[in-house]
Amino acid sequence: MRKYLTVFAVDWQNQFIYRLNFFLWRFRNVLRVLMTYFLWTSIFAYRTTVFGYTREQIMAYLLLVIFLYGFVGSCPSNDNVGGEVSSGALNNFLVKPIGYLRYWFTRDLSSKLLNTVFAVGEISLLWFIFRPALVFSSQPLIIFLGILMLASAVVIFYLLGKLAISIVFWAPENTWGLMFMVLVFTEILTGLIFPLDILPSHIFTALQFTPFPYLLYFPLVTFIGRLSPQLSFQYLLQSLIWLGILYSLLRKVWSAGLKNYSAYGG
Amino acid sequence: MPVIEVHNLKKYYKVHQKEPGLAGSIKSLFSRKYYDAKAVDGVSFEIDAGELVGFIGPNGAGKTTTLKVLSGLLYPTAGHVSVLGYTPWDRKPAFQKQFSLVMGQKNQLWWDLPAMESFILNKEIYEVPKEQFQKTLDELVELLEVRDFLKVQVRKLSLGQRMKMELIAALIHSPKILFLDEPTIGLDVVMQKKMRDFIKEYNHRSNSTIILTSHYMDDVKELCERVIIIDKGKLLFDGALSEIIKKFANHKVLTVVFSEPVDEEKLKNIGQIKEFDYPKAIISVRRSATSLAAAELLQRFPVADLNIEEPQIEDIIREVFTGKDLA
Repeated sequence: MRKYLTVFAVDWQNQFIYRLNFFLWRFRNVLRVLMTYFLWTSIFAYRTTVFGYTREQIMAYLLLVIFLYGFVGSCPSNDNVGGEVSSGALNNFLVKPIGYLRYWFTRDLSSKLLNTVFAVGEISLLWFIFRPALVFSSQPLIIFLGILMLASAVVIFYLLGKLAISIVFWAPENTWGLMFMVLVFTEILTGLIFPLDILPSHIFTALQFTPFPYLLYFPLVTFIGRLSPQLSFQYLLQSLIWLGILYSLLRKVWSAGLKNYSAYGG
Repeated sequence: MPVIEVHNLKKYYKVHQKEPGLAGSIKSLFSRKYYDAKAVDGVSFEIDAGELVGFIGPNGAGKTTTLKVLSGLLYPTAGHVSVLGYTPWDRKPAFQKQFSLVMGQKNQLWWDLPAMESFILNKEIYEVPKEQFQKTLDELVELLEVRDFLKVQVRKLSLGQRMKMELIAALIHSPKILFLDEPTIGLDVVMQKKMRDFIKEYNHRSNSTIILTSHYMDDVKELCERVIIIDKGKLLFDGALSEIIKKFANHKVLTVVFSEPVDEEKLKNIGQIKEFDYPKAIISVRRSATSLAAAELLQRFPVADLNIEEPQIEDIIREVFTGKDLA
């Protein structure tokens, strides 16, 4: 355990080296919110409710979603693991008594912490500008379920990314192909741009059989108290089932990948 | 009791062949031709504790592949391998804590942080006790003279300084076995020499087993009593460096300095002329005919000076690899 704490600490220091990079990334996040904000403002120009959401509810949703996305979506492993495998830098880890996937998960957590700190700042700022009425559930049980769903979402997103990257073991030149697909799905199907329940109900139901809504949408609606405790619990279970499926899948794929890995370079 | 046992090791890669040009690229989308590249093809050897063994061979001979199998990075196609009693590719932490792999062209240090941070991380990864870490670090830093650079960002170090830091990072857990793949590559002559001195000193002090691959014969000549030569995946030679001469050199080299000009044509009767630049000539002759050739030279030519020498190890090895007869 201590080794991963040290990884966390070293990564934390490393992040401060890339200050400019980091600020630009955060800036992009704020721009994204503003863009969605203006989109929704024009939608609400001539009506008071859309798909059963009031203007305030949508704004609250959007503010919360960037906060959660900062946590779930900041995943530097997605940008680095493929390159490390195809360049052979993975060798450095395979010869050491450390788990490579755990190592990167730890680094992701470190990045998530830093991003969350900044997301809190950005949200406070935006809140002062737009003053949306933020509603949270006040039930401790619901909050607790929400936190568990969020934790599960973090792991699911990590596993999805690593699964997509695993293709690099068989096609070392394809570090980005599948990862790109995952990111596109993440933008559309997780609830990052709009609340998923505005979709036709059969599509919404079908989405529940993919891992995507468990990344942002279900944790979020749990936190804002739109779900009953029973429903929250049901979605938490479904989220954990996805976690289990993806975990065992990744284990299999990764170990097959390592067998095929020819420790490229030299 | 050997610490490394390799028996009939084979490692074949499937390699995809692409025909040149765009048409070839398109064709390869639909049907690909594969062939087996035999990187290592039936190599066997044993290495005892404390030995410092040099692995030599031309590019693509299978040196690095062998080291990668020994350190558990690659699964072999066939053969038996045991290192410290472990099967390397099981990647057991208990095994990994006892060896280290340094590749001259790959780095493990965190590029943007001072090297010290990477050392601390390795201390935790290898679970090195605090006192031992401090002691080992002090020793290595002293031996490699890098105390002043511990707090400098790795990206700002020179190649030589960085290589030294890489070594420290690799040795911080006091490995019993050290695999060094081209540790001096890209370094200038002075730095190469320092590295060599360090490796030698480290081997003496810690009694660790070291396998070293290098392109530079100087590395091997100075460090290794025993060498293993591989070429095209096969083992050509395994033994003392001096044995290479006995085994492969079927000739000797005569260096003659003449006092008066001589006819080059006549000189050809003595042996194969390697170099002729009056007044000096270098002639290669069969080992068994050496004394006869020397006598003939002295009798028939105006000789000012004559030297009979063993050929250079570099030359022998080069000729072994190119498959040429020497004399």
